Amino acid sequence: MKQLFLSLLALSALATPARAQTGTTQTPNRIDGYGAPVGPSVPVSRAPGETTIDILGGYYQQTGSHGAVEGGRGTQQLTDVSPTIIINVPLDTVSRLSVNVGADFYASASTDRIDFALSTPSANDERIHADFGYSREQKAKGTIWGAGVGVSDEWDYFSLSVSGSFAKTSRDGNRQLSLAGQFFQDRVTLITPIELRTNYLGATSGRSQYGTDTRQTYILTATYSQVLSKRLQAAIGTELVSQNGLLSTPFHRVYFRDNPDLNPGSTPGSSFEARFPTAARIENLPRARFKYPVSLRLNYYASDLVQVRGFYRFYNDNFGVTAHTLELELPVKVTPFFVLYPFYRLHTQTAADYFAPFAQHSVADTYYTSDYDLSALMAHKAGLGLRYSPVYGIGRFRVPGKNAQGLPRVMRLKSFDLRYAHYQQFGSTIYAVSDRADLVANIITFDLGFAL
Amino acid sequence: MKRISFLLRPRLALGLLLLPLGAALPGCVSVAAYQKVYLNDEDMKLAGKTVEVPETSFESYREGAGGANGGKVGGGCGCN
Repeated sequence: MKQLFLSLLALSALATPARAQTGTTQTPNRIDGYGAPVGPSVPVSRAPGETTIDILGGYYQQTGSHGAVEGGRGTQQLTDVSPTIIINVPLDTVSRLSVNVGADFYASASTDRIDFALSTPSANDERIHADFGYSREQKAKGTIWGAGVGVSDEWDYFSLSVSGSFAKTSRDGNRQLSLAGQFFQDRVTLITPIELRTNYLGATSGRSQYGTDTRQTYILTATYSQVLSKRLQAAIGTELVSQNGLLSTPFHRVYFRDNPDLNPGSTPGSSFEARFPTAARIENLPRARFKYPVSLRLNYYASDLVQVRGFYRFYNDNFGVTAHTLELELPVKVTPFFVLYPFYRLHTQTAADYFAPFAQHSVADTYYTSDYDLSALMAHKAGLGLRYSPVYGIGRFRVPGKNAQGLPRVMRLKSFDLRYAHYQQFGSTIYAVSDRADLVANIITFDLGFAL
Repeated sequence: MKRISFLLRPRLALGLLLLPLGAALPGCVSVAAYQKVYLNDEDMKLAGKTVEVPETSFESYREGAGGANGGKVGGGCGCN
């Protein structure tokens, strides 16, 4: 709590108008499809009255040997394809509507181990999400109000969200304070490992035979941005998160070093065996979690050729996880319209109090997990991105309808972004070598930016 | 991990976080709109790029820490 207090104090001190002259780009929108945009952001490159459409695509692939479904020792292989469309439409001169619709199509060898028959429906799943936001700008006052709703659905998870936001920019445009609140109401279907299901009737489909639980998430975001010089600007922010309800994953197994109960074993004809001779239990975590990250962004226009983008985050929560994240990106303008940007990210975190590697928990523990997302680890990410955005666009084509002048409407492909990242985790040396995180991931994403 | 363990102390981290701002703020200058040609550059936006969004999502799933970067912090899921 002391850190939280200090963080809030720092933010409130920074927000005092006495010393400030800022006016920067705004808080980032949440556009990854898990909720409505909470920041009333309008990208600086958008012309007034212009409808923008972003078509995003991502291909993500990971491998590792510490799958939580098998108690911390088993495949983590996963692939995910995630197409998304983000549309931002001006309704009039002061208000805008944003729509974000997308899906995730993933194949997970890990979740396939929920039951004992490999290549079952649990190996594949889809998630669809849709978010709608409305924002209204009062230019004379320098304020933007926003509100939004969102929905997300997958086989074992359903989520609804609402959000509200407010941003105030100083008269000279040199500083901005942005506040946002968001609430999620989630319903989790309690799909447990097959050998741990009570009253299990044998069917593998139909949600009705599983129970459900709920999760509520409250998020308060505050960001303050400030122009520091003609070439330097910064933003400091925090995002306070309070979660209640089911915070564990019902199909994560945990094996114990001292569990007297024998494993019921696999069913006849199965292609997958349990990992340990004694019985597993379902992961159990506290039903309340409070997270308080604080971040700093610092961007410097070093020259017309190179800019420096820096990001640092300190994170703490009541699960005992403390983390530091540092990111550095160096956009290089090969030409005024073609940018190459190498980037590097370093993340380090301590383990949650309730984490132990495979079969190292005691049955006397109240809470237990062997999910390596909560282990002590260091992660490196490095990659390269490119952006091509000529002034008059890459191409244009006619679309149905006419504009206000009665002329045919023309859609413009404004920009193309492509990005590749390689990510690798290294488990802490406090664990035995075989118990250290070893996840490796690769991700390719693109963004086609259109304007109408 | 031992070598960086001193960095994991919250108070020290918060101090490190605020130090650059503390040093920079007294030196703020008033920048007029016509002087913002550098600040208005696409790469000077104080936010992650749209194309980064899938990355920040997977990081929030694969790490026990997240938030304050425009990414996911909980709720909504799609967590596998």
